[in-house]
Amino acid sequence: MQNFETLLRGSAKAHGHLCPGQVVGVRMAMLGCDLIGLDEPKNLPQIKKIIVYVEMDRCATDAISFVTGVKLGRRSLKFVDNGIMAATFVNLDTQKAFRIVSTEESRDLAAVYAPEIIDKSQQQLEGYKRMSIEDLFTIEEVFVDVPACDMPGPTRFKAVCARCHTVVRDKREVLKNNEILCRPCAVGTYYQPVRKKGRKDVSKNSPAVF
Amino acid sequence: MCQKTAPPSFKTIPVEKAVGTTLAHDMTEIIPGKSKGPVFKKGYKVKSEDVCRLMRMGKNNLYVLDLKESQVHEDDAVYELASSLSGPGVQFSGNPKEGKLELRATYPGLFKVNIDALIDFNMIEDVMCASIHNNRVVMKNQALAATRAIPLVIEKKELEKAVKTARDHYPIVSVKLFSPLKIRLIITGNEVYKGLVQDRFQAIVEKKATALGAVVKESIILPDDRETITRQVKSYLKKDTDLIITTGGMSVDPDDVTRASIEKAGFDEVHYSSAVLPGAMFLLGYNKTTSIMGLPACGLYHKITIFDLILPRLMAGERPGKRDLAKLCHGGLCQNCTPCRFPACPFGKS
Repeated sequence: MQNFETLLRGSAKAHGHLCPGQVVGVRMAMLGCDLIGLDEPKNLPQIKKIIVYVEMDRCATDAISFVTGVKLGRRSLKFVDNGIMAATFVNLDTQKAFRIVSTEESRDLAAVYAPEIIDKSQQQLEGYKRMSIEDLFTIEEVFVDVPACDMPGPTRFKAVCARCHTVVRDKREVLKNNEILCRPCAVGTYYQPVRKKGRKDVSKNSPAVF
Repeated sequence: MCQKTAPPSFKTIPVEKAVGTTLAHDMTEIIPGKSKGPVFKKGYKVKSEDVCRLMRMGKNNLYVLDLKESQVHEDDAVYELASSLSGPGVQFSGNPKEGKLELRATYPGLFKVNIDALIDFNMIEDVMCASIHNNRVVMKNQALAATRAIPLVIEKKELEKAVKTARDHYPIVSVKLFSPLKIRLIITGNEVYKGLVQDRFQAIVEKKATALGAVVKESIILPDDRETITRQVKSYLKKDTDLIITTGGMSVDPDDVTRASIEKAGFDEVHYSSAVLPGAMFLLGYNKTTSIMGLPACGLYHKITIFDLILPRLMAGERPGKRDLAKLCHGGLCQNCTPCRFPACPFGKS
């Protein structure tokens, strides 16, 4: 694995800016990988051994993804919407897993570690770099039983929604009123349709694309 | 189930020749004062970089699997078994252990198992699956069933037979999602209406219904008067109501008029009585969009009654009929245990 400063530069570039969250995320990811015994998680064969559950969708998540190489599309990055600055690093080979939480105290401790810096954000950025692991994080060894339908690899499970006929992958279908349904049909959508036209109607008016 | 077992397909080979072979059992490494645990799991394919570590662990020879073309390792086999058994709302671990996998609920709901198909599955050699009882309310991640390939290696043809049986009867195990039913409640009884006795039914119904995600939209206390009760049922039917629940008045006394009142309100289907104690004088009816349940007064005394068996099924979109109420007979007698262990007891597990 590259050193901290190199990873931080790369992470900031990938994320779009350098911020305290990048520092926390890079340090969390480096520690997580170390704890589960992976030193080159972005490369084969280790890229197939790691899954990370992140519990927030903020800057640190991008840093974790950059350092570890985990991605949503590879199914190696799992988002658990807890709103907690925490991530769990899982080694699929050994089953070793550690949950690391960024401490709330570290926000105040940044002033102790970087007293010469006045600007709050810069103080946190530098403070988090200098902070001891013990002050920055709480660490807990855990067991994560990753379900088969959440595993990376080819799609193994498919169902067809009885109502809209959409294919549902990875066992996300539900059984409601004796029908196998996709979740939008069963429990509603996060969006409101703007037009009530079907797909065919829309494509009729759209330019042909080859 | 296992009737005969194929001889284990092991062979012993020197560790330096083990690259590419599959370990027949877990390999434990002990680092004094630091750790002890399996570093290579059964089924692991040995790589060239592992040989030195195995030697450091004191392994000069290894038991490795020598699978024939017609055989499948138990962990691979059980993955296929679990995949074929699991319907909607059921998931299982991606890491089979010792040829076994637990099937767990993906979301809360009503557990369903095709019992006949499960028996057929268990008639096949070298495989098994055991489940909890049908029609049980389950929580997210609750264990529903467990399946395993019984020997260390299983004949491919037996595995294929088991998978085909499960797929032909798909889904053998599943979980039905509860709908948030809109409930309207009619509490009957002159004594309650006149204020001689305080109603306790509303709290009981609300507690049990909301626990499953239903909503009690409205409730009313009425005297034991046929016309009044019928009129109220009809009024609730005109509203957006999934389920009407009446309480009391279901027995055979002259004042017990709720049953007749419901029948007069005009339902397509009405079933009176169930093979359950407590809950024999129970009424269940339907029209096109609304169900009705008439709860007998036993619900005030007994913690668990027929109500606890039928409500989850309505919540799951089922419409139990006369035969379903009769089928509850086997296991339909509550033993009034102290403390009550329902649902972890035989009550209602027909």
